[in-house]
Amino acid sequence: MSTQPMILAKDIHKRFGDLEVLKGIDAEVDEREVVCLIGPSGSGKSTLLRCMNALEKFQKGHITICGHDLTGSKTNVNEVRRDVGMVFQSFNVFPHMRVLDNLTLAPMKVLKVSKAEARERAMALLEKVGLVDKANVYPTKLSGGQQQRVAIARALAMQPKVMLFDEPTSALDPETVGEVLGVMKNLAEEGMTMMVVTHEMGFAREVADRVLFMDGGVVVEQGAPKQIFDDPQHERTQAFLSKIL
Amino acid sequence: MVTPLFAFDFGRDLPPLLRGAGLTIGLVLGSGIAGTIIGLVFGTARSAPLAPIRWLASIYTNFVRGLPILIILLFLYYEIPLLFPYATFSQAITAVIGLSVYSGAYIAEIFRGSIQAVPRGQLEAGEALGLNYVQKMRHVVMPQALKIAVPPGIGFLIALVKATSLVSVITATDLTRAGRNVTSANHEPLATFLVVAALYFVISYPLSLLGRWYERRLA
Repeated sequence: MSTQPMILAKDIHKRFGDLEVLKGIDAEVDEREVVCLIGPSGSGKSTLLRCMNALEKFQKGHITICGHDLTGSKTNVNEVRRDVGMVFQSFNVFPHMRVLDNLTLAPMKVLKVSKAEARERAMALLEKVGLVDKANVYPTKLSGGQQQRVAIARALAMQPKVMLFDEPTSALDPETVGEVLGVMKNLAEEGMTMMVVTHEMGFAREVADRVLFMDGGVVVEQGAPKQIFDDPQHERTQAFLSKIL
Repeated sequence: MVTPLFAFDFGRDLPPLLRGAGLTIGLVLGSGIAGTIIGLVFGTARSAPLAPIRWLASIYTNFVRGLPILIILLFLYYEIPLLFPYATFSQAITAVIGLSVYSGAYIAEIFRGSIQAVPRGQLEAGEALGLNYVQKMRHVVMPQALKIAVPPGIGFLIALVKATSLVSVITATDLTRAGRNVTSANHEPLATFLVVAALYFVISYPLSLLGRWYERRLA
């Protein structure tokens, strides 16, 4: 069903206690599409992203992702998460495991891949993110940029159909931002379906197929990066971009 | 009649003290190991996702931590056999059971704290990879939590060495009771209890060294 979008979110409402952080979000990501979510802090971008793999529950609305209906009470979230990779702002690599074991854990335990095959796949991914020589090192010995590349490779080891990125470069030293964005750009060029929450406007402009601007729990405006960045229609988008660009 | 200042006769008085020290070491090992197993189970239960499991586990830890060990030991030794005649055990076994129940509650709280000290992001990373609860606990949370639990755990074991002295109330001949027995024969409490104190130190100091070695290894 290639006509079905990879992610389809309809009228998502999410509240933390009395605070409504998502006020009816509609969003769509097609196969092989890269969608960037931008907007001020507290606008609900990360929360929306985290709803996509059920790290957050939402109170109202529907999400279908990779053919799984997240609203169904019978949905096994672990099955959904096999198909959906996620990269966090704080990397969250496993500090008690060598880099290679970080990459082989989930494929072996969740997908029941053999150790040899998992290792082979892991080495290929480390090659791809430029960290083959770090396979047997503990992540605490790595820089932030290297840790984040390990985290990306770890997510890719599950061979996901969609990748979610939650501000992947916000916790990085400026000089290591580029290496992480480079890996993400390659991934996009290979046709990975991606949803990226980011403050890197250069990346959004260059790599995204579509940009969603969120503010106050709603999608204010969306469109091609060129249109959003060069000719924003909504005054909140204009105000945000004028502060940040 | 002049009482000799040091009537402590090593050949006569040391062997019973060493036997007492042997029981003390046995109590620490037995209840330390059993308490760690109980603590792992209840500490994990105390941080379980299901609220009823957390409540059940907290009944045990809060109840036991609210009781003096003396009361636990006296109850097990003198009352339980009246209620359940089949549950009559020797002093040593009763002492191990009592100390294990006591240790389990404290160690459970140490594990609960350590599990909760593992950063949330680690759990989320495990979840995002599709690991189920057991896999996430086993491969992501526990290895990190156990490391965090080692220093307070060793601290507790050192305290446990000293707590075992309370088993003398149920007439188990541990190091403290052996000291009292020897004293009543040689009438030399000062020297006898200095030896007793030295033996307690010899038992607990290696644990301190273990703790220091562990912390240096982590640094």
